[in-house]
Amino acid sequence: MINKVKASLSEKVLLIFLILLIVVTFGSYFLLKDKCLFVKNVDPNKISFTNTENIAIMNVECGNVIIELDPITSPNSVQRFKTLIKNGSYDGSTFYRVIKNTLIQAGDIEYGNINDLNYTKIGTGKSGLGLLKSELSDEFQFKKGSIAFARKDDFDTEDSQFFITLKDIPIYQGEYTPLGKVIYGMDALEKIKSGNKSSYVLRPDYINYLKLLD
Amino acid sequence: MRILLILISIAFITAVKADEIYNLIKIPNLDIYKIETKNKIRYLNTNNDFRIGLEKNITCARTNSTNLNNKFLLIEKNLNIYSSNFLKKNNIKYLVMCENLFISNINTGGIPDTKKKTLIIDINFNPKYFERMIHHEIFHMIQNSNFKYFDEEKWSLLNKKEFKYAECSTCSDRLNLDLYKKTEGFLTEYSKSIPSEDMAEVFSFLMTDKALVEDKSNDDMILKNKINFIKSSLSKIDASFKF
Repeated sequence: MINKVKASLSEKVLLIFLILLIVVTFGSYFLLKDKCLFVKNVDPNKISFTNTENIAIMNVECGNVIIELDPITSPNSVQRFKTLIKNGSYDGSTFYRVIKNTLIQAGDIEYGNINDLNYTKIGTGKSGLGLLKSELSDEFQFKKGSIAFARKDDFDTEDSQFFITLKDIPIYQGEYTPLGKVIYGMDALEKIKSGNKSSYVLRPDYINYLKLLD
Repeated sequence: MRILLILISIAFITAVKADEIYNLIKIPNLDIYKIETKNKIRYLNTNNDFRIGLEKNITCARTNSTNLNNKFLLIEKNLNIYSSNFLKKNNIKYLVMCENLFISNINTGGIPDTKKKTLIIDINFNPKYFERMIHHEIFHMIQNSNFKYFDEEKWSLLNKKEFKYAECSTCSDRLNLDLYKKTEGFLTEYSKSIPSEDMAEVFSFLMTDKALVEDKSNDDMILKNKINFIKSSLSKIDASFKF
């Protein structure tokens, strides 16, 4: 004869806890899989800008990023950046170099486009427009959201690659050519996929499009 | 577990910081010590031993914080003599502080790298010469940035005809840094090693004990000419520079 065993109160609590845990685990899996879940997308049409010719909109996986360019600090470099934007050169450009919570880098037009990614040469590509002279500023502060042209070890080697800082990096002041700053959408950039210790990110996130507001 | 997490966090933070600075000057294991300075020089501290150079022949060890804090006062005091404009003209922007600096197993006070605008300083260098050594190394950066004003052949002609410098600064035994009582054209034994070290010795003494050196030069025409050479060359770089 089998005696029916009645569950004690603590066993019931444990059972409820386990059920809740399973529900939360599966729920979280599906909810958190969407890395952009808590990122607020910025609609540039709902913002009034004072200086529209220097506003660029970068669309990435988690939404829009609004950039204000700074042609006063770096006139030639901003001009180059605008030219590349107008040519659509940055559309599909991957964030192949990402230092978590520090900076993200994109703009290798030759080897870093998502449609024609060359992992062996990424980071060495050219725009075909030639190198630029560095336009350094002792005034421009590299706060979180600063955007600047990347360069090789030497100055005057800027071309098309750029980086955006994800935190204040004061030591970069006077070292890199500033292009401007992110005025909206930093949280979308913070969701960009970072790599491990390799020199580039495997299957990187990329810029859907980058266009000027005007 | 908590300790393990803290240790992992520290390792991560250090790596990220190193990455930012390494990008700029290609020296690993550095932290910012002080970058808000009136002459815009950026002081960097070594948080772990490093080995650099083409053949990894330059080594230096991490700093002890008490030692660093004490030595920094001296370093900053001496660097503050130079204006930001002067430092910029001479490609001096980063000053890396570490302990026991060696190049090819030879202990050295400093290593200048004009291309990276960086001067590495050994904070454990002999205290007797420490402050003068800073100016000596700064001179090397000045010279490397302005070779045309510090022509070594012209400089060598200031010496007596029979005098010959060594082939290199470390291939002679002329290493003593004490000031000669009787100078005869050279302030120290090390001055006799190579022209650039001779110039650096004159410059460093002018920066640290100008009156004494000028007094010695009253009885030493060669030394007087060398002092005038250095002053004249520096005025071409920066007319406002004064010893």
